[in-house]
Amino acid sequence: MSMALPPCRRTKRCGSCAPPEPVSALLVQLLSGLSGASSLFLVAAGLTVIFGVTRVVNFSHGSLTMLGAYLGWSILTRLPRGPEYFVLGIVLTALATAGIGALIEMLLLRRIYRAPELLQLLFTFGIVLVVQDAAQFLWGPNDLPLPRAPWLRSFVTIAGERVPFYDLVLIGIGPLVLAALWLLFTRTRWGTLVRAATQDREMVAALGVDQRRLFTTVFALGAGLAGMGGALALPDASANLQIDLNIITDAFVVVVVGGLGSLPGAFLASLLIGVLQSFGIVLFPQATLVLVFVIMAAVLVVRPNGLLGRAPAVARGAGQGFAAIRPAVPLLLRLGAAALVLAVLAPLAVGPFVLSVMTEMLIAMLFAASLHFMMGPGGMASFGHAAWFGIGAYAAAFAVKGLALGMGAGLLLAPLLAGVAAALFGWFVVRLSGVYLAMLTLAFAQIVWAAMFQAVEITGGDNGVLGVWPAPWAADRRVFYWLVLALCVGATLLLRRVLYAPFGYALRASRDSELRAEAIGLDTTLLRLAAFTLAGAAAGLAGGLAAFSKGSVFPGFISISRSVDGLLMVLLGGVQSMAGPVVGAVAYTGLFDLLLLATDQWRAMLGLAIIVLVLVFPQGIAGSIHRLWLRGREA
Amino acid sequence: MLRVDALHAHYGRAHILQGVSFSVAKGDALVLLGRNGAGKSTTFKSLIGLVRPTSGRIAFDGQDIAGHEPHVIARAGLGYVPEERRIFTDLTVMENLEVGRLPARDGQPPWTPERLFGIFPNLAAMRTRPGGRMSGGEQQMLAIARTLMGNPRLILLDEPSEGLAPVIVEQMVHAIRAMRDGGVTVVLAEQNLHFALAVADHATIIEKGRIAWAGRVAELQADAGLRETWLAL
Ligand SMILES: Nc1ncnc2c1ncn2[C@@H]1O[C@H](COP(=O)(O)OP(=O)(O)OP(=O)(O)O)[C@@H](O)[C@H]1O
Ligand SMILES: [Mg+2]
Repeated sequence: MSMALPPCRRTKRCGSCAPPEPVSALLVQLLSGLSGASSLFLVAAGLTVIFGVTRVVNFSHGSLTMLGAYLGWSILTRLPRGPEYFVLGIVLTALATAGIGALIEMLLLRRIYRAPELLQLLFTFGIVLVVQDAAQFLWGPNDLPLPRAPWLRSFVTIAGERVPFYDLVLIGIGPLVLAALWLLFTRTRWGTLVRAATQDREMVAALGVDQRRLFTTVFALGAGLAGMGGALALPDASANLQIDLNIITDAFVVVVVGGLGSLPGAFLASLLIGVLQSFGIVLFPQATLVLVFVIMAAVLVVRPNGLLGRAPAVARGAGQGFAAIRPAVPLLLRLGAAALVLAVLAPLAVGPFVLSVMTEMLIAMLFAASLHFMMGPGGMASFGHAAWFGIGAYAAAFAVKGLALGMGAGLLLAPLLAGVAAALFGWFVVRLSGVYLAMLTLAFAQIVWAAMFQAVEITGGDNGVLGVWPAPWAADRRVFYWLVLALCVGATLLLRRVLYAPFGYALRASRDSELRAEAIGLDTTLLRLAAFTLAGAAAGLAGGLAAFSKGSVFPGFISISRSVDGLLMVLLGGVQSMAGPVVGAVAYTGLFDLLLLATDQWRAMLGLAIIVLVLVFPQGIAGSIHRLWLRGREA
Repeated sequence: MLRVDALHAHYGRAHILQGVSFSVAKGDALVLLGRNGAGKSTTFKSLIGLVRPTSGRIAFDGQDIAGHEPHVIARAGLGYVPEERRIFTDLTVMENLEVGRLPARDGQPPWTPERLFGIFPNLAAMRTRPGGRMSGGEQQMLAIARTLMGNPRLILLDEPSEGLAPVIVEQMVHAIRAMRDGGVTVVLAEQNLHFALAVADHATIIEKGRIAWAGRVAELQADAGLRETWLAL
């Protein structure tokens, strides 16, 4: 499954306006960067405020921005074109998205505040999928540019340069909003309560404050800011279906660089990122995102909690971890062996379609198992696991098409490159945990995605790499299936073997108590890095196999939704047992293929499925079953 | 005023409170005594709603509040000062007080920051100081003042004298008397017997989640054997 994303991430200043002259580029580019920073700041401010109080990393924040853009388009195109109506339209849009945010909080989020972090992220991703289909249904699939009124097209001359007037407006709005928020948070009772709740929401409740109302209003404020950011960006871009995931990645980066929960931090970081992106487009058009990522990495290495962030105090009364589960081993082993025998014999009995679905299932199994390896025993929940999968796939494709090597070399290079990339990236990621780690892995995957998109000469960009076929000896579908079976089952068993080796125990020890693990002489950072690398390499192998199985590689291999697929498989199956991801992958792949056959609205369906699953099983399916079992035993 | 009947509470599967019952009359001061881990704090958390009691009744001002949300219970007039104080460290003294503010109640003059500074003079000099930069004793006073801002009819004080210097403990005795003069009923958990004797009229001894003894403070003072049995470490 892949989600088509746009060919160009940042199309600011394209179309009607000519590219700036090199000499004047500096000033104009700087101002353009600062103006872009403003709407980014609004979105990131909303995200950081919501996180501060509810401790929920709201993936659907980008969807609110997208809704802001669409609603803004609908409202502004119906109003007269004077500046005063523009202001009115923006205000109306902000109010509308605030209302939608309040509804989302009251109907949905309110029910999952005590669920594990990861399920919360997944839940809000479900909202993203639903909103995407809803927006497409309401506004159609095409980009909706805002017809620009004359005043929006006017220029101001500064130091001999023509600067778009609207850029200056945006530049002014950022600090204004920061000041307004600052006043709101320091000078009003509501703001005082919000700051208190950010630190200790249980105590705030014990003092007689209704948290629910506080959370709803905070969420509405954040949503309003997101919507306003989306609408303000309209004159420079358009309302389109890609805004949600693009802006959420940028906003995550800003929030992480600025420090989770810090408004001034978000402001500084958005200036930094905005200007950087603006110059990056001129200086290294191919490497803008990589640049952003390098800056983020640099900041986090020097200041692990962001520019102005503080050490993440565990907020009282926040969500909890998963319940621990132990599988019934002998029965599972026997079932697994039986399944394996069936899988080996299957090609003799089934047709080509079923065989290709089974191939897909096997690859999904290895992908899910590698993610599980990091998440379960490693305690590192990645939201960008598709990065390694994609790197593996592109490595295999490059070996075959670029270096004219065989399939064997491709399948060797895939885990190798993915492992090396994972080791490099993991070097500083493994120091983080929880939400920070999830966000960083997500950001990194987005950057790999964009890099593959932008490096057209090597990767073919959106067109992908075609004709990545297996070697002649494996050209027969059945032979290829057996190869996939051998490699996927072998690699999965290897991961399992490692888990029950001393390394696996050490890894789990460092997950459960870093302090105690270090006290007995374990190097927890190194352990986590090794696990990260191994998981990356295994996912890379899965990606390489996928490349040969499909015969082509596309940027969609690295999409967020592929990462989320992996998470769903693991969470559906259960985090605490190795059988979980295996069962989850098989069930999920089968279900998904059915869903694709049955409906066009697969995003909305999948989103709804996620939302319902998390609402019904707030501890994960396996965790909830475990609880039921305990209760049954007590009764 | 407050009547607790056969209260049970669990942490996960651990059965902590195993039938706690006691009552306090309006204007009275009751002390809950007991060794470490006896269940005093858990009793208070169950009363304010931070721990959901598994069974039992809590009648407060004639209303059953067992199992209600903390903010509902607090708004009904039950004030709670936790053992760990839980000051908002980023907020100033005045802001901390603001968080605790609730509307005035009939028949009780409302607490204002100025009135509270009369009881806790130390706080008056540090209105704009962040809570994180105050000493333990100052934080304890702020925590009590913050809860009083909600104009509670009854206040639960969890070990208010813990870790305080004798001079400050003396101030705390005066503060509790001032509260009672202001019409607030007081329930406190204590390990410091002298402090308890100085401020309370009635005592209830709790041991392993059950009530071991209840009576007047004066009886406890008179009976060394009683103290030996239930309170000696
Ligand atoms: N959050 C918790 N989770 C699990 N068990 C807890 C928790 N808090 C307290 N307990 C247990 O509940 C029992 C009662 O604890 P509680 O804090 O109520 O005692 P206490 O009488 O207030 O003790 P102290 O005088 O030390 O404050 C103890 O055995 C303690 O270990
Ligand atoms: Mg206690």
